[in-house]
Amino acid sequence: MLRVENLTKVYPNGTQALKNVSFEVADGEFLAVIGLSGSGKSTLLRCINRLIEPTSGKIYWDDTDVTAAKGPEIRKIRRQIGMVFQQFNLVKRASVYTNVMSGRLGYVDTFPSLLHVFSAQDRARALANLDQVGLSEKIHVRVDSLSGGQQQRVGIARALMQEPKLMLADEPVASLDPVLAHSILKYLEQLNKERGITVLCSLHFLDLVHRYATRAIALKDGELVFKGLPQEIDDAQFKSIYGQEAERVSII
Amino acid sequence: MTASEHTLAPQRNRTLFFSLLALVIPGSSQFLMGRRWRGALLFLSIPVLGYIVYWAQSYQKVGLVTIGSWTTSWLWAPLALFWIWNVFDARRLGNGQESNSFLGLLLVLVILYVVAWNVTQIKPERLVTRFNDAKSVATNLVNPDVITITINGEDRICAWQCMSEYISDTLAGRPTQGPIRASKTLLDIIGRVEQVKAPAWEVKLGLAQSGGQVTGFVAGSLIETIAMGLMATIFSTILAIPVSFLAAHNIMSRVPGGNVVYYITRTLLNIVRAVDPVVWGLLIIVWVGLGSFAGVIALTIHSLAALAKLFSEEIEHIDPGPVEAVTASGANLIQTLRYAVVPQITPPFLAYTLLRWDINMRAATVVGFVAGGGIGFFVVETIRMGGYQLYATALWSVAVVIILVDAISSTWRARILADQPSEPEKRRSTWVKIRTAFLVLLGVLAFIYCWNISEISIKDLFAPAPTLGSILHDFVTIDLGPKTLGPVVQQMLITIFQAMLATTLGAIIALPFSFLAARNLTGRSKLSVWIFYLTRGLFNVLRSIEALLYAAIFVFWVGIGPFAGMMALAVTTFGLIGKLFSEAIEEIDPGPIEAVTATGASPLQVINYAILPQIVPPFTSYLIYQWDINVRMATIIGFAGGGGIGLMLNTFFGLLQYHKAGTVVLFIVVVVALMDFASAKLRQVLV
Repeated sequence: MLRVENLTKVYPNGTQALKNVSFEVADGEFLAVIGLSGSGKSTLLRCINRLIEPTSGKIYWDDTDVTAAKGPEIRKIRRQIGMVFQQFNLVKRASVYTNVMSGRLGYVDTFPSLLHVFSAQDRARALANLDQVGLSEKIHVRVDSLSGGQQQRVGIARALMQEPKLMLADEPVASLDPVLAHSILKYLEQLNKERGITVLCSLHFLDLVHRYATRAIALKDGELVFKGLPQEIDDAQFKSIYGQEAERVSII
Repeated sequence: MTASEHTLAPQRNRTLFFSLLALVIPGSSQFLMGRRWRGALLFLSIPVLGYIVYWAQSYQKVGLVTIGSWTTSWLWAPLALFWIWNVFDARRLGNGQESNSFLGLLLVLVILYVVAWNVTQIKPERLVTRFNDAKSVATNLVNPDVITITINGEDRICAWQCMSEYISDTLAGRPTQGPIRASKTLLDIIGRVEQVKAPAWEVKLGLAQSGGQVTGFVAGSLIETIAMGLMATIFSTILAIPVSFLAAHNIMSRVPGGNVVYYITRTLLNIVRAVDPVVWGLLIIVWVGLGSFAGVIALTIHSLAALAKLFSEEIEHIDPGPVEAVTASGANLIQTLRYAVVPQITPPFLAYTLLRWDINMRAATVVGFVAGGGIGFFVVETIRMGGYQLYATALWSVAVVIILVDAISSTWRARILADQPSEPEKRRSTWVKIRTAFLVLLGVLAFIYCWNISEISIKDLFAPAPTLGSILHDFVTIDLGPKTLGPVVQQMLITIFQAMLATTLGAIIALPFSFLAARNLTGRSKLSVWIFYLTRGLFNVLRSIEALLYAAIFVFWVGIGPFAGMMALAVTTFGLIGKLFSEAIEEIDPGPIEAVTATGASPLQVINYAILPQIVPPFTSYLIYQWDINVRMATIIGFAGGGGIGLMLNTFFGLLQYHKAGTVVLFIVVVVALMDFASAKLRQVLV
């Protein structure tokens, strides 16, 4: 269970990215985070695994205070929380294998990992996770020769190496063709349903939220403006989240 | 018998076969298993390394060990291990395993660096034992001869200390030690106003009498150098444009017989480009005599070849879309060229010309070493007289000019490549028109002025010295007799190893500095910003001066020879590669760092998995590129006492042994062209 209490983030340049945001995510949920670009979705997700330091507020993950954790402690928390990114964030010049293996770094000793030495178990795990996303035959290929959709699947396989209980997905399909968006979200849905991984996913398109999320929250200018079921977002709600001039578009 | 045992037996035979084959012919198994490049490299590297070890043992006495009555070099041991490694490599590939190149590479590097260290005559103790000499040079370098003071009727150099005394005396109202003025060196470098013979145009306008004296400005050697660089850039650009079309494959393949022209042009360009402007200078002075004009021609020839190659590649990468579209609209050939081709190639052509201007200015500072004229000639004279404070003045003024040129050229280039000119749309105000007209006029006047002071004389070009024919004949009668060939090969190898060591040394020292000079790693604190600007400044100053100009310092410090040349090359390398490295670090994508941090990795693991994979390939690529440049520079470092093949070439020219000089130039062409090709191929594979 993830609990966020009064989370606030002010950047050094004065931008207030999050204002007093509080919500809870129960285990096994698929929570969508919606809102315009710049509404604070990315900041929120990055505060949860402390890639960004919150200014004030608390985050509890299974009753551990994430905001108070330091050094090795925060790394122990991070390894339970997988993350996939809009720009995939893979090392393009390295192989699929090395990229996937980097997801295991929180579990292994530093020294062997510097020499790229991994246990047979971890290597088998990498193969299994690549199999899960249908890329096992690309294991020794360099990432820059893969398509965007394939790169995002490598990103998912990397996150799975952490055996996460929570998965943060920051606009995982915004850089992909609409057709590929479904294939990526289906993988996340599968992980959510089959492995019981809690998913926190920021999304742009409302119809994707309807299709995949079990619950949704919406941010506007850093404030939480909606909390509820996806089907509860009616036209009035929609206009208040996205502004009066927004219109619904469909990509299905 | 299970299915797997069925496949195991032939598999074992296959592995054995490939292992044995690799033992007999290194690289052959790798080649047959589809790893063509790996196989070819192995196949070539064994005999090449074998020759190097043999050469190092018998000519350079490297690593000699005596076993009983038998004397040999221990370097044969790593070579043998390399051969054995090749067998194991074949075995692993035969088993379908991925092979590890690390050990093989390590063995090759051991051989190369041990040989390089010895043949370059590295004597690190000299850096210490002769430290006092270095200190005196350093003192001279930071106290250039800029101001002269007259004390009791005697002229003295007035450096920092003297200047500060003078200023404090003046401020305090005390009498100074004596009057000061700009030093003769400064005037020699920048220029002076004095009575000169009236130039022809003033006589024609009636401003002066024929043969009379007028007050005029006599350009100093630095102005001469700037003029040489400018003229060479203009001439080579004008000449390179038509030549580049002959070297563009997409154009020539449409012309009957064009392919032949294409290959001939490309080959000629590669040969001409391989010879450094300084070496061209040696040839040109035979033709037009010593002076700035010889320098301009030498620079133009080299620059023409380099530009034509870049231009032709730009023509080859032209987008065919607009050509198709304009042709479809019914335009004729000329119209198509004007509206679909010219707009595409103008910005890159201009950008390359500006880049070349920068390079030509640097080359112009050293071409005078042999051609006469310019600051290079001035440096040769001051070194000959042992005037290190005079030499310092030259170095600092070169640094100032080159840093300026570098800054102008790179900002201008960035502007050209950033926004495509859209002239027809832009409304031009009268002010802009006046400004443009003024700039054009200024440009024309500068061109005429530069033409005059670089002593350009078309007449000389067509009236070469009467001995030119016989000298050229002598030159192309390349002497390949063993008495010439042996020493030439020796010096060539020393030059290559010298360049390798210089690249390694410069890069090792530059590496930690490059992190300090990367903007994205600079913190917010005042101190780190200062460190950033200081390291960047250091890189810029050091790389602005050609290695040839540094050589004099190290000759004084560690003595004449390849060691001094290596050190001089390493200093320039430090500046060049430090800048390239820090730019590579600035291009790091922060995404993977974020992602790996999010998995719970420790800082060391983040460096290893997110940062190193992003910087190792570009770093390696820059290292190879720098080695390539350094080999070319090392071929001339001998002109300033830096040893290697340049010294030999200079000697042959000095003794008028042109047939031997021809051999040397031939070797330089072959080696530099090969290095160029190999480095381009390797970098392609890497990035």
